[in-house]
Amino acid sequence: MNPVLIGHLVRLRYRLLWAKTRSRNGRIALFLAGYLLLVLLISLLASGGFGAALIAVRSGKAERVAQALLGALFLEGVLAANILGFGMSAVFADSELRRYPLNAQDRRFARHLTGILDPFWFLFLALELGLAIGLYGMGQGSFWFGFLGVLLLFVSNYLLARVVGQFIDQLMQRKGGAPILLLGIMLLGILPSVVGPSLGKKPELVAALMRPLRYTPPFGAAAAMIHPDAAGVYGLGIIAIWILGLGGLLVWLEKHPPRAHVAANVKVEWESAFERVGAWYGPRMAPLVAHWLRFYARNPRMRTLFLMAFPLLCFLTYQSGRKMGPHSLFIAALGTVPMGTFLGTSRFSVNQFGYVGGAFRRFFLFPVDAAATLRAASYAALTYGACAIPVALLAWVVLSPYPFDARMPVMLLCTGLTGLFVLNALGLWVTLYNPRKGNYNSNFGNDLSLGGNLVLIGGMMAAMLLPRLLYKFLPWVVEPRAWWTYLALPPLAIAFYAMSLRMAGPIFVSRREYLLAVVEGRL
Amino acid sequence: MDAIRITNLVKKYGTKLAVEKLSLTVPKGTMFGFLGPNGSGKSTTIGCMTGLLDVTSGEIEILGQRMTPDNADIKRRIGVMPETLGLFEPLYAHEFLAFVARMFGLDEATTRARVTELLAALELTDSSKTLSEYSTGMRKRVAFAASVIHAPDVLFLDEPFESIDPAGVSLMKQWLRRFTEQGRTVFITSHVLETVERVCQEVAIVTQPGKLVWQGDIRALAHDGTVECNGRTFDALEPLFLHLTGERSADLKWL
Repeated sequence: MNPVLIGHLVRLRYRLLWAKTRSRNGRIALFLAGYLLLVLLISLLASGGFGAALIAVRSGKAERVAQALLGALFLEGVLAANILGFGMSAVFADSELRRYPLNAQDRRFARHLTGILDPFWFLFLALELGLAIGLYGMGQGSFWFGFLGVLLLFVSNYLLARVVGQFIDQLMQRKGGAPILLLGIMLLGILPSVVGPSLGKKPELVAALMRPLRYTPPFGAAAAMIHPDAAGVYGLGIIAIWILGLGGLLVWLEKHPPRAHVAANVKVEWESAFERVGAWYGPRMAPLVAHWLRFYARNPRMRTLFLMAFPLLCFLTYQSGRKMGPHSLFIAALGTVPMGTFLGTSRFSVNQFGYVGGAFRRFFLFPVDAAATLRAASYAALTYGACAIPVALLAWVVLSPYPFDARMPVMLLCTGLTGLFVLNALGLWVTLYNPRKGNYNSNFGNDLSLGGNLVLIGGMMAAMLLPRLLYKFLPWVVEPRAWWTYLALPPLAIAFYAMSLRMAGPIFVSRREYLLAVVEGRL
Repeated sequence: MDAIRITNLVKKYGTKLAVEKLSLTVPKGTMFGFLGPNGSGKSTTIGCMTGLLDVTSGEIEILGQRMTPDNADIKRRIGVMPETLGLFEPLYAHEFLAFVARMFGLDEATTRARVTELLAALELTDSSKTLSEYSTGMRKRVAFAASVIHAPDVLFLDEPFESIDPAGVSLMKQWLRRFTEQGRTVFITSHVLETVERVCQEVAIVTQPGKLVWQGDIRALAHDGTVECNGRTFDALEPLFLHLTGERSADLKWL
């Protein structure tokens, strides 16, 4: 073990984090503010954990509350790390560390030390420590048992997140891996809301389900916090076994990296569906649109999101379509259909050039109006997004629990088209003013800029909340009899899109040096 | 008529001067070497010449026409191999080359024929790999193929020979010679001075920040002759380059 060198690497990791912000204009102040906010947040979370401890003790169910809180945090850590990518990108790659005089074991230790020392994981640590200290303060358990339990839980949480991440990587490399993963995510999302209500009615089933949970790290940590005796030692022992098992599994997975699928020589195709669809946009735009259609379609994440959008939105429609009168599901669908037109392509729509790297400069070498490429990329997103509309309408007609009413699909068509054009128009502006260099091949993690996140997450929020607000304040607007009012929406959205496209062209050309610096990672 | 004429070109990035009043001319049918140390503004100059970057001041003429970022007529007649190669990584080589060819207005039949010929000639026939899976040398070959696919009149090659194996370099040199024999022009930046010495007829040497310090005919060097600069005689490009850009030495006792 070379602790000095490993220490230098951990410091380097933080220096790189700092350098990233320093290279952007005025970001130092922002970083400082962010850091202070983080400290505040950690303090808040620690006090939150402390508060939870107070509740736990006062309720007389200290261990049960601790188990629930630690379990929820444990799961959240794993999910947030793998779905949003928090705390996962901080780790040096093994190939990066090979240039230093470290053996394989040291490199592994250094990688995971930089990973676990990410501020993201400290947030969880703060909450868990708050709970442990709170319980001790309220006279429940021993400080040292609790402290040790939290530290071990913290390590096991990180290890599990890593193992899951490795497993996902392995899965995505296999043929059919994306749909399997999609199914897994869907089940994970849907199961609690489906199984939850049934569990409430069957306490014996809950007890049966709880029994194996006693052997999980959060329950082990809860036992260590509450019982400073043999039960506590047993709890710590459980977490230690998990750490050993997860550590071993992680090492094994890392030693058996996913093997890229090597295809045999593919048949050279000169005229594909991309070219045929691209031709719809006229001979001048055809090659560019076809190129973008291909570029989007070849992205595994876009394909997964595109496939995922439909079941996800069905689920969201079902979930949010409650307590809004006799047409609850329909009102919810008025919001979810527009999101369905955007979700699949959102990553590209709000950051059109973020994934092309140095190839961005090629667009300015072609003997065409450079702004045509911006238009073509947007047309490609529109084309893919528009495909969701007939699917959504058909699904509505087939699955809807209401008697067929032609006004409903018309209204859904109108909101779908409106969402498609408005969100893609906003995407154009984010592409120009808040681009970000992204990794085309990354399957997980949030690599969008602030603007991109605002459009995507803001769009999702609006899709969920707007119909509800309309139902509350203008209920007649979301009833089928108001169908004719919806006819005005698509033309307005198209006008907004066309205006954005027209205005964005010259801005794109004038900002090309800035965009080039961003997408090539120099800014 | 000169193929390229640059007059008092100035390029600034914010307040940082990248090219300082650069003026040079490149005769038609010449293989022209544009040399300079790292960071001396070679790629920036190419960026300005090819319409990628806005010039701060000065004028650039290519084939007698003023080059502006939106001059499609000129862009149709030039080929560029950027330093960063500019490849769309998820595409296969034939897809990428076909896309470039179509963007330059080649019809479908010509596109197919040229892509097939280029891939075969540059030994890029492994169609199981996307460009991201190619080696650096193979990627460079693809970028080179993309720069010539539309048979341009002026070719800009930013460090074309680095990372390519000797057989590939030999083939490229052969093509470039034939290219200039047909009256077309090649503008090359490179750090491989031996190759430049052998293939280029004329060179310009710049120092930071994009300041021209010498331009002259170097054909004599390829035939064991000499060139003169500042009253001194040089029998190779390397000593001339070091004389003009400043030879660096640092005595590291521990090394």
